Amino acid sequence: MNHTLSILLQNEAGALVRVAGLFAARGYNIDTLTVGPTHDPSVSRLVLTVQCDEAGLGRIMQQTRKLVDVLQVAHPAAALAA
Amino acid sequence: MTTSSPPASAAVAVAHPSPIAVPASGAEAIVQVLADEGVEVIFGYSGGAILPVYDAVFRHNALHPREDGGESMPLVVPANEQGAGFMAAGYARASGKVGVAIVTSGPGATNMVTPVRDSMADSIPLVVICGQVGTASIGSDAFQEAPVSNIMGACAKHVFLVTDAAQLEATVRTAFTLARSGRPGPVVVDVPKDVQNAAIDWHGSGELLLGGYRSRLRTVEQASLSDTDCAAFFAALAQARRPLIYAGGGVIAAEASTALRDFVDAFGLPVTTTLMGLGAFDTADPRALHMLGMHGTAYANYAVEDCDFVLALGARFDDRVAGVPDRFAPGAKFIAQIDIDPAEIGKVKRVDWHHVGPLTRALERLTAYGRAHAIAPQLSAWHAHVAGLKRTHAMDYDRASALIQPYAVIEALNRHTQGRAIISTGVGQHQMWAAQYFDFRAPRHWLTSGSMGTMGFGLPAAIGAQFAHPGKLVIDIDGDASIRMNIGELETVTTYGLPLKVVVLNNSGDGMVRQWQRLYFKGRFAGSDKSLHKKDFVLAAQADGFAWARRLDQPAALEATVADFLAFAGPAFLEVVIDPDAGVYPMVGPGASYAQMITGDFIASRKAAAVDEGATSHMF
Repeated sequence: MNHTLSILLQNEAGALVRVAGLFAARGYNIDTLTVGPTHDPSVSRLVLTVQCDEAGLGRIMQQTRKLVDVLQVAHPAAALAA
Repeated sequence: MTTSSPPASAAVAVAHPSPIAVPASGAEAIVQVLADEGVEVIFGYSGGAILPVYDAVFRHNALHPREDGGESMPLVVPANEQGAGFMAAGYARASGKVGVAIVTSGPGATNMVTPVRDSMADSIPLVVICGQVGTASIGSDAFQEAPVSNIMGACAKHVFLVTDAAQLEATVRTAFTLARSGRPGPVVVDVPKDVQNAAIDWHGSGELLLGGYRSRLRTVEQASLSDTDCAAFFAALAQARRPLIYAGGGVIAAEASTALRDFVDAFGLPVTTTLMGLGAFDTADPRALHMLGMHGTAYANYAVEDCDFVLALGARFDDRVAGVPDRFAPGAKFIAQIDIDPAEIGKVKRVDWHHVGPLTRALERLTAYGRAHAIAPQLSAWHAHVAGLKRTHAMDYDRASALIQPYAVIEALNRHTQGRAIISTGVGQHQMWAAQYFDFRAPRHWLTSGSMGTMGFGLPAAIGAQFAHPGKLVIDIDGDASIRMNIGELETVTTYGLPLKVVVLNNSGDGMVRQWQRLYFKGRFAGSDKSLHKKDFVLAAQADGFAWARRLDQPAALEATVADFLAFAGPAFLEVVIDPDAGVYPMVGPGASYAQMITGDFIASRKAAAVDEGATSHMF
């Protein structure tokens, strides 16, 4: 199933590479990816879509939360459904 | 690594280096932060892009001698940067402190990738400082340039590329916090040469904000078990007749061994540990089942088959333990898991109860709650069953063989060390024999590359451990193939006069690979037979300055040789020519369940398991 994740991350050199690299290293294919600024210039918002099952989604969200540069990982559709 | 030829003008050395008072440059700031963090020893190899830091270390040591006149932060120089990384890792594993390595850019940094990944996989705290080409040259394919933040970012806990000298002091300090907090791991700081040389204002305190990491860390560190959590745990335990603790390396990382022993004293659960958890619980205790998993003891694995309740502590159900997660502990009606890393909860196997938080506090809380509620599980039948498993399925081997059996070598060493020596290993059969046949009475006495399985780990890790514990007996149990990987570090042992003991169990090749080739590839020993290799290990050790270096090939001389070897005051090297066909048993094959464990000819099995000879396996 297709999932959209919204990730806030510190605007540091290499932060985007680490998120993208984590997904690749753990076997998740990113279908779309958008990065943009937020009202805080030190924080970027990254929105990506990924194909995986619910269990896999939970695992990759937990792994993404381990990245030091990552401030927040959200799955808006799940938050809306809840 | 060598530096490029300097221009003639640069050859004018500073005759009397100025000591560091208040750090004024990036390089001096790095060294002062290391000193403030209590770093006692640095492992590293110099080179062009890290020279300012090396010079600052030299000046720091000149200015701050120890009371005995020695250097306060000695630099230990390996043969290869990988050696420095594993020395730092061995130091960290044996001491519980952060290990520090400093290397130059390019090849210096890439040679450090393996120890960094190895430390990440085993959750070992390291801080690695890498030189980098000047900021103006980054991305220009400069001499000794490598994209370290990209490379290390994929395998370290975190990597910083410091391009602003004003951030350097706080960054290096933050690296230590990151390395040791939460689930520990290696942190790499990549420092361009101009940033090392830049003038800085020293602050003496302050770290980077890292809002996301720190807020998650706070949540985990403050987590505590509620009365409801404790009640649910003990309600499930009360239903259990055969509960078992499965303890991993997290118990050691959390310094939770005492809390674990108190918990076991209170409630009587038998304990099996992973390879990484050896020493977390005294293996000589009657309630200890030694190691479980692919090469765990038969009695531990049968206890896992028989148990009806599992408490996983700092353990992650990895494929060497739960090769087939659905068939791991098939009788367990309840699985409880405590870990510091939320991502490990239910990652491999669904659990019925979990807690994410510091392990010592969680165990102390459970013990206090259980004692306050007078919980005393009646486990005498289970204890008798476990004792029976230990008797019936005890470790054993061919004691009548005319060839030296590797298990006998470990047993002979263990009779002297009694579980009190620090043991490091390479990777393969000798690693498993050491894990199986040594006693481990306390944590941080067992240094092995568990997750990554890096051959060549043993010798440099032992060197690092000896620096952490200069007065302790440190033994590297190695294989002839593993030691070849970092054999240059034999010279490092004698250079620094370390009383290290090196044992090479020589079976003329990659024994574990041959074991798998025998089982799954009809005995075609592709690339794993080294019987025609020419190396004379004893001559090699002598060439590197080992005054005591011998080859043992007569079983009758085993006891006397081992005694003599361990009694030698300085560095000693013992090559033991072992039975080349000795196997590692028990073995739970890839893709097999514990019920299908092969126990070999000398360990009693519940049933003769059929080995699917020649079957191709996609498992590894």
